[in-house]
Amino acid sequence: MNGLLLVAQREVRTRIRTKSFLISLAISAILVAALAFLPKALGGDGTFDVGVVGPAPAPVTQLSYSRYPDEAAARKAVIGGDVDAALIGGDRVIANGELDQRLGLILESVHRDEQIRAAGVTVTPLRVESVGADARYQGVRTGIATLLVMVLFFLFIYSSMYVAMGVVEEKGSRIVEILLTSVRPWQLLGGKIVGLGVLGLVNLAVVVAAGLAASAATGFAADLPPGMGGIVVSALVWFVLGYAFFAVLAATFGSLVSRQEELNTVLTPMTTLMMLTYVTAYFAAVQPTGTVARVLSLVPPFSSMVMPVRTAATGVPLGEILIAVALMIVAVVGVLLFASRVYQRAVLRTGARVRLGEVLR
Amino acid sequence: MLEIDGLRKRYGDKTALDGVGFTVRPGEMFGFVGANGAGKTTTMRIVMGVLGADSGEVRLDGRPLGYDDRRAFGYMPEERGLYQKMKVAEQIEYFGRLHGLAPAAARTATDALLERLGLVERRDDAVEALSLGNQQRVQLAVALVHEPTVLILDEPFSGLDPLAVDALAEVLKDRAAEGVPVIFSSHQLDLVERLCDSVGIISAGRMVAYGPVAELREREGRGVLRVVVRDAAPGWADGLPGRIAREGDRDVLLCEEGDDQAVLRTAMGAGTVEHFGRRQPTLTEIFREAVA
Ligand SMILES: Nc1ncnc2c1ncn2[C@@H]1O[C@H](COP(=O)(O)OP(=O)(O)OP(=O)(O)O)[C@@H](O)[C@H]1O
Ligand SMILES: [Mg+2]
Repeated sequence: MNGLLLVAQREVRTRIRTKSFLISLAISAILVAALAFLPKALGGDGTFDVGVVGPAPAPVTQLSYSRYPDEAAARKAVIGGDVDAALIGGDRVIANGELDQRLGLILESVHRDEQIRAAGVTVTPLRVESVGADARYQGVRTGIATLLVMVLFFLFIYSSMYVAMGVVEEKGSRIVEILLTSVRPWQLLGGKIVGLGVLGLVNLAVVVAAGLAASAATGFAADLPPGMGGIVVSALVWFVLGYAFFAVLAATFGSLVSRQEELNTVLTPMTTLMMLTYVTAYFAAVQPTGTVARVLSLVPPFSSMVMPVRTAATGVPLGEILIAVALMIVAVVGVLLFASRVYQRAVLRTGARVRLGEVLR
Repeated sequence: MLEIDGLRKRYGDKTALDGVGFTVRPGEMFGFVGANGAGKTTTMRIVMGVLGADSGEVRLDGRPLGYDDRRAFGYMPEERGLYQKMKVAEQIEYFGRLHGLAPAAARTATDALLERLGLVERRDDAVEALSLGNQQRVQLAVALVHEPTVLILDEPFSGLDPLAVDALAEVLKDRAAEGVPVIFSSHQLDLVERLCDSVGIISAGRMVAYGPVAELREREGRGVLRVVVRDAAPGWADGLPGRIAREGDRDVLLCEEGDDQAVLRTAMGAGTVEHFGRRQPTLTEIFREAVA
């Protein structure tokens, strides 16, 4: 165990000092934060600024009032774009060009309410009852799910790539010959996977934190669906499971070659599987309740991306989640057994690419 | 005591090792020599467990070698390997830790080795920034950092300058003096002759000569007769066995067989005999003889 931890520690220390790690961390955090700011930047926050001269009407959620001493000042503010319109003396509106249609309707109803209240009549507001599923958060949930697909895919690909490159580096430089006389193969491989996995997890945590912080800063957080905690936890758990699966595969295939240039070819089966998982997860984000999404969210390794995406996009029964986790763990154990056969035999055979058949016999 | 017993290894239909066996006692420095492709590296890799033998066994103090025994060995593989981007001191320390040293012990051992191998100024340089010879020194430090119980070094002296050769020779002698069996392979036979207590000569996967250097010499016979004669007329040695060479105004005659007294009489008749004696065969000569 000690050997594994030492190896993991070296991986973390070495990688965390590199520029490429820090840059990718910063870029992914900035991207996600930017996406959280996007709704505000595009559509504004949905409220209008209205300048007021004279008596102010009762406050309503869609309007924010700012006072001006006289009409001339209010006019200047409208032309300068500081406010969307100005209400003069409670019965006249100044707009820059044509008045926004929605703002016009709101001002109209505010004006009407004022007059009704002045007449001493109280009006009960309409009650709205929803039938069918609660669709209030559907848009946001789909957005989060789509974002999650991209983040998980990015992390899986680049963490597994680093694992494979590390394996080839050690094999190609023959350092593995000394390493394996001081640690066992599973310690070397396990340490590498754990170390780089910790960095992946750190990256994921930073991305999630950046996203949540940005949405809190923009006020977008109020629109987040309930149960965000569950979505975050599920993303972390599935990252660990999916990463374990793909990283072990990457290390196994990586151990077959001695040069980085050969890595792409030998990793093709794994990257293909990863791409397929990505595509299905993308569909699941759009159609989380479809049969394809429901079935594939149980089947490893697709479940590693489809299940967290489904969880984010819609409610998933606990039973299904547990089945998916159990199956994924079985799959991880399976690739570990495969890896333990291949890795320790292949990694000491330097030179030409080792065929899988040669080491599986 | 490290016993290597009847190792056999085939690659396809090529036999790399055909029953290699020898013994290295505690504190003994064993020089492993042989032509290119003779099987030295294959033997050492099998000893380290990096390669599996088809048959045969390696024992330490009578027991078959296990993983934990090997973990305490110091190994320098033929194909050098270091983390190119890792700093020198950090790397040596890391390997110390992997071999089971506590952090403080690893640091102390690293500092001591950097000092002995002349790497103090380079301690914070990345390995890739070092010259080949200096990388080789780091590789040695990596093999030595954990105070190994057995040393297996594949061509540790190749690529080192004379000062580094001396420094390494000193380190190895010290380790041997502490009771560590040391095996190293080399093509520098003079060095092997100077450093080793015993020598093993391997040829085409078999041990062709093996034992203390002095014993090998004995076995090689009485040695070559060397006669130096001055002012002799050309052709004086025509009837004698052996080779003759001219060095300045002297003739040097080397005979491997024949009646030495008859040779002496002829030489005295031909000119002034300045030297007459038997020369011990060098390891190089023994080697040539053995692998011929
Ligand atoms: N991976 C391999 N596949 C096939 N043959 C091999 C392999 N490794 C070594 N051999 C063969 O085994 C024999 C012994 O090789 P080995 O490397 O042990 O020689 P060596 O004594 O160390 O030579 P050198 O002095 O050149 O280092 C050689 O004939 C070599 O061709
Ligand atoms: Mg060799």
